[in-house]
Amino acid sequence: MLVAYSSHKLDAAKTAAVDEHIGGCAACREFVRGQQAVWDALDMWEPEPISADFNRRLYQRIDAQVTWWDRLLLPLRPLAFHRTVPLAAAACFVLAIGFVLDQTAAPPEQQPAHVNAVADVEGGLQPDQVLKALDEMEALSRFNRLMKSDAPEAKM
Amino acid sequence: MSERVSKDVGAATAALDYDAELMLRVKDGDGASFAILLEKHRSPVIHFLYRMVQNQAVAEELAQEVFLRVYRSRATYEPTAKFTTWLFRIATHLALNSLRDGKNERTQERLDEHTEDMPVRQLPDGKPSVEQAMVYQAKFEEVRQAIAALPDKQRAAVLMHKYEEMEYSQIAKVLNCSESAVKSLLFRAYESLRARLAHMA
Repeated sequence: MLVAYSSHKLDAAKTAAVDEHIGGCAACREFVRGQQAVWDALDMWEPEPISADFNRRLYQRIDAQVTWWDRLLLPLRPLAFHRTVPLAAAACFVLAIGFVLDQTAAPPEQQPAHVNAVADVEGGLQPDQVLKALDEMEALSRFNRLMKSDAPEAKM
Repeated sequence: MSERVSKDVGAATAALDYDAELMLRVKDGDGASFAILLEKHRSPVIHFLYRMVQNQAVAEELAQEVFLRVYRSRATYEPTAKFTTWLFRIATHLALNSLRDGKNERTQERLDEHTEDMPVRQLPDGKPSVEQAMVYQAKFEEVRQAIAALPDKQRAAVLMHKYEEMEYSQIAKVLNCSESAVKSLLFRAYESLRARLAHMA
């Protein structure tokens, strides 16, 4: 508190309280006297003048640290700092990925054999062929039921 | 939602200080705001560093590094503390490193042994007599040596307290220690200074 008092950093009420105390306390009075002497002595120490080219040197150093990549992007920098640009860039990226995946999943020009067969069936299917196919499906269905009834858990 | 968050951040920034707001503008690519910050804080930073390392050339070199780091950190800057706290944390860190690495050994030597080689400082007011100039120079050297004799952290604490008029809490944040530790540092530092300088009253 005495340090703060000596450097005039106390409010009026506290300053008055310390004033009253040091009026009757020689030790604190001596402390304050010494501290104020230190404070005044430190006030003597004026700093040296700053070099006139300080800013220029700093900007040169900053400029020297800018990479060729930064220089390349410099004209776009105002855009890059705009809030909506990262969002738009992200949206474009997602769309581009979607487009690439879509292209990859698209059917090739050469149709597979079974697709051609289906096309043939749709084109010139005969009634006996349809009946044969239905018979085969029914047989397959029966086979499946048989397999299930033979399963161990079914027996239990 | 994002608007509310943005408003909250804005309010927090305004509550912090105008410098932090300028720094956020630097973060957004505004070079003019960096120039304002440099103009405003250049002198306090250089003067603090000069009194820390007691060599003007080294102080300016360190100050260049301080502002270079500020500029480099713009992209990741968050206004979590007062701008000056952050600035002086960088400055103090560099000064303490410089003192530890002995970059200003030459200055210390000069201070201890060859004070007569130092340039004679001019009195602030008008034309002093030769005797006045000599008394002033002697007192100035005494003050400088008393500060130089303090341990590094005590010196930093005193310089921030005396010349930058920082509160204990801010000094504590700069030095990354508790407020009571700062009070202790200052008490011991001023005790040493009183022992060396009280006679100057």
